[in-house]
Amino acid sequence: MGGSPPVKALRQVFSRLLAGLLSLLFVSFVTFLVGELAPGDAAMARAGDKATPEAIQRIRVEMGLDRPWPERYVRFVADAARGDFGRSYQGTREPVADIVARALPLTAKVATLAILLAAAVGIVLGTLAAVYEHRFVDRAALSLSTLGVTVPNFVLIPILQYVFALQLDYLPLDYDPRLPAPEIYYLVLPVVVMAARPMAMLARLTRASMIETLQQEFVKLATAKGVPKWRLYTVHALRNAILPVVTAVGSSFGILLTGSFITETAFSIPGLGREAINAIQRRDTPVLLAIVLVTGALFILVNLIVDAVTPLLDPRVRESQL
Amino acid sequence: MRRDWLFWAGVGYLTLLVLFAVFGPMLRYDPNTPVGRPFLEPSAQFWLGTDQQGRDIVARLAAGARVSLIVGLTVQAVSLLVGVVVGVLGVFGPRWVAGPLMRLTDAMFAFPDILLAILIVGAVGMGLLPVVVALSITAWPAVARLVRTQVASIKDREFFVASQALGAPTHHLVLRHVLPHLWGILLAVSMVDVAGTILAESALSFLGIGVQAPDASWGSMINAGRPEMVSHPLLILWPCLLLSATIFALNFVGDGLRTLADPRSR
Repeated sequence: MGGSPPVKALRQVFSRLLAGLLSLLFVSFVTFLVGELAPGDAAMARAGDKATPEAIQRIRVEMGLDRPWPERYVRFVADAARGDFGRSYQGTREPVADIVARALPLTAKVATLAILLAAAVGIVLGTLAAVYEHRFVDRAALSLSTLGVTVPNFVLIPILQYVFALQLDYLPLDYDPRLPAPEIYYLVLPVVVMAARPMAMLARLTRASMIETLQQEFVKLATAKGVPKWRLYTVHALRNAILPVVTAVGSSFGILLTGSFITETAFSIPGLGREAINAIQRRDTPVLLAIVLVTGALFILVNLIVDAVTPLLDPRVRESQL
Repeated sequence: MRRDWLFWAGVGYLTLLVLFAVFGPMLRYDPNTPVGRPFLEPSAQFWLGTDQQGRDIVARLAAGARVSLIVGLTVQAVSLLVGVVVGVLGVFGPRWVAGPLMRLTDAMFAFPDILLAILIVGAVGMGLLPVVVALSITAWPAVARLVRTQVASIKDREFFVASQALGAPTHHLVLRHVLPHLWGILLAVSMVDVAGTILAESALSFLGIGVQAPDASWGSMINAGRPEMVSHPLLILWPCLLLSATIFALNFVGDGLRTLADPRSR
């Protein structure tokens, strides 16, 4: 403790940046280690199936794969930082960076739409549940969120596909990269599936935070002053209750970005999650490593931004720091 | 009252599930060999019918239950062992051990589990054993964190301070005064953790990188049933129901045990 408020704030920002940097180092090291343990290497892929062991060894020396591991780790990180993840072991040996660049926007789009839906529905549901505590709306919201947290995505997906795609025929079963219909049409079900869990969690959090806020003195004062009900709930209470919810929205977004494997595989969406699973099945290690590295870095970055921004939303913190 | 009812329902369901997993696969048919025509309706011979390859669905569900329980219990045993040792060392260990161990725990905790599990499966290969390895590695940091906070709070209690003042050696303090206080909460948390592990195993098998064909897992049965969803929705319904019921039961039992272990929590 100690020091003037601005110095304290700076120190906090600095220590968070340091923690983020450490996590990044951890992610990159684990990824590198897995690359070392995985069978096959870039030299074998480059030499082709018919190469002699001597030829492979020659290429290995040429590519610097015979160097000691600390040296290779530093090169791995330096290359990754420049966006160079090597080439795929399979097919036309496409640069991995191209695969990531093609898949990332779709994953980010689904995650963004899902978090927007989850935040909108979750906050409204949670607020209603708090306002009507112990009444029907509250019970319904709580049961719905228990379901949302416990029913796994890969159970929810077949149910939604069965009802909305196969029986009612409202929505397409799978993503179609030729896009005969507007893209959003293909993304409705995946976005709903991805949103289910964070929606349930945010509803619970909003409810708890709102109930706590509604018991505070200033709410009683506002009621006594004759502030209209809707204004009391939205302007007075929700603004105070929303802080922990905003933090949770941020970290949920990070989880959605890294947790798209099931949804993308089940709906054949060519995003990062499906590419990663394909890479495991084809033993295409560089693609898997790159996807884990990129999504891991995004996850850390999102959490860093959340940590840095949320204190600014609280007027008490804002004023004490400036 | 409602909580009590759910707790006992959960205990009852889990008992049946264990019996089903132990005896089900040897009950009538082998889960991996075709025993009849594909897509047979439920009958006295095949209680839930046969799947797309003519295999008995009851036998496959039982084999899937076995996989779920084996993975859930093995991973939980490993993560309890590692988590308790790391958590206790994090408080009582010498600084040069405690510091790095806790840094490592925090670093792993900050990393999304599913990403790490998929990375490890990518390195070790696909199958039951790699799944157990991957999920064990991702599961222990949560236990270690819980143990560390619990141990740190016990350290300030009177009985502990008194024993320490009387000159009790550290191993005596840990074995006699710390660990006995932990079992209740750890058992409660384990139920919820096992549910998480079973879900993760099913997810990996659903993705096709967990338990490999012809072996059955609830996750891979759900995935295999998806193309037949229109004509034979029951194929996918049974593993979905069993999985969801298992997750609910473990959570209810965990909640009940937590109330028993720490009455103040409610």
